[in-house]
Amino acid sequence: MNSRLVVKPNLCIGCRTCELACSFTHTVDGKPGRSRIFMLDGGYDKLWVTVTCLQCDDPACVKSCLVDALRRNEVTGAIELNQEKCVKCMACVAACPFGCAILDSGHNQVVKCDLCGGDPACARFCPTKALEYQPIAQTQKAKKVG
Amino acid sequence: MATVNITINGRVVRAEKGEMLLDVIRREGIEIPATCAHKAVEAFGACRLCTVEITKDDWKGWKNYVTSCLYPVEAGLIVFTHSQPVIDLRKTLLDLQLARHPNTPLIQEMAAQYGVNKTSYEELPDADDCILCALCTRVCDTMGFAAISTVGRGHGKKVAPPLDQPPPACVGCLACAQVCPTNFIKFTQAGAHREIWGKAFDMITCTRCGKAVITKEFAENLSANRNIPREYFDVCDDCHRKELAGTMGRIANWNREEVTR
Repeated sequence: MNSRLVVKPNLCIGCRTCELACSFTHTVDGKPGRSRIFMLDGGYDKLWVTVTCLQCDDPACVKSCLVDALRRNEVTGAIELNQEKCVKCMACVAACPFGCAILDSGHNQVVKCDLCGGDPACARFCPTKALEYQPIAQTQKAKKVG
Repeated sequence: MATVNITINGRVVRAEKGEMLLDVIRREGIEIPATCAHKAVEAFGACRLCTVEITKDDWKGWKNYVTSCLYPVEAGLIVFTHSQPVIDLRKTLLDLQLARHPNTPLIQEMAAQYGVNKTSYEELPDADDCILCALCTRVCDTMGFAAISTVGRGHGKKVAPPLDQPPPACVGCLACAQVCPTNFIKFTQAGAHREIWGKAFDMITCTRCGKAVITKEFAENLSANRNIPREYFDVCDDCHRKELAGTMGRIANWNREEVTR
């Protein structure tokens, strides 16, 4: 795990390109409602926040899965859902304290962000770099400076 | 695990020693029917449809017919997934299935693929859609609830809760209904009320928006056995996301004010 998805709400212009990029990457029809990333109102004037799976260190979704369908991909660090194993009991959807495992009712599938296997489409298409997939060393450096 | 070479339909394929043959066949993109296989549970060999022909060079021409879902791969295996005896066997199986389940779309489609459009046997008059693949009971066992099981043998075999009473161990997760390949397992969901196997469940509703989140029984089970804080289940996924966006928004707004100040 060398990189992480960094969200910078102050740069977000609320265009929902990330949602489109996500749904076109993961589904055929590309409906924004099928996205695994969510552009939400930040609660202040001209402030939008993109919310997606935080890939927690101690993930409630993985703990809640009784059939071992959710596992961390040690290469990307993303928690990935094995659709072939999933029995759709909705435990992870209910357990995630950030609401980032969702039911795609159109496909009757539980879906969550998998960081596109290490090259997240949302970050690639973000026009203002409000979403960036950065090497961890760089994010830590930024933290120290700020 | 050691990698071994096997031959499937004349093509040499690499596989892990000990993994089940069906997984290798499907990974190679070869389609063979199976109704009782699911990655969440151990192989069971109930439907027999994944039967393939196997042999080895040193078997002196002898062959064997095995359910590929239950057959561990070993070096030098020669596999035929669509040889004539295998196709005939699948036809017979589907013919029999079609007699028992003449109105089940899944069986109709599978049989049609093997050229069986009408059963050559007598159709069961009061047929239902349960093909006794036992996926539901196995998933329930794997999840640790074991609320339902197959009951009886032969003609009367069925899937049911103990003594046909509402099952005490059921938490109402609906996994059995979700994995059922023929949608035979019925449940009702109206608002925060859910009913399955004759057992009624009151669901936890989101404290913010009132949407039904999860059954109380399932939430309590998960927090007790899986160490998940019980309050995680009090809010639905939509409101959880809004909450996260609100928190991040507050921090971002604070940062913004810092910059302009």
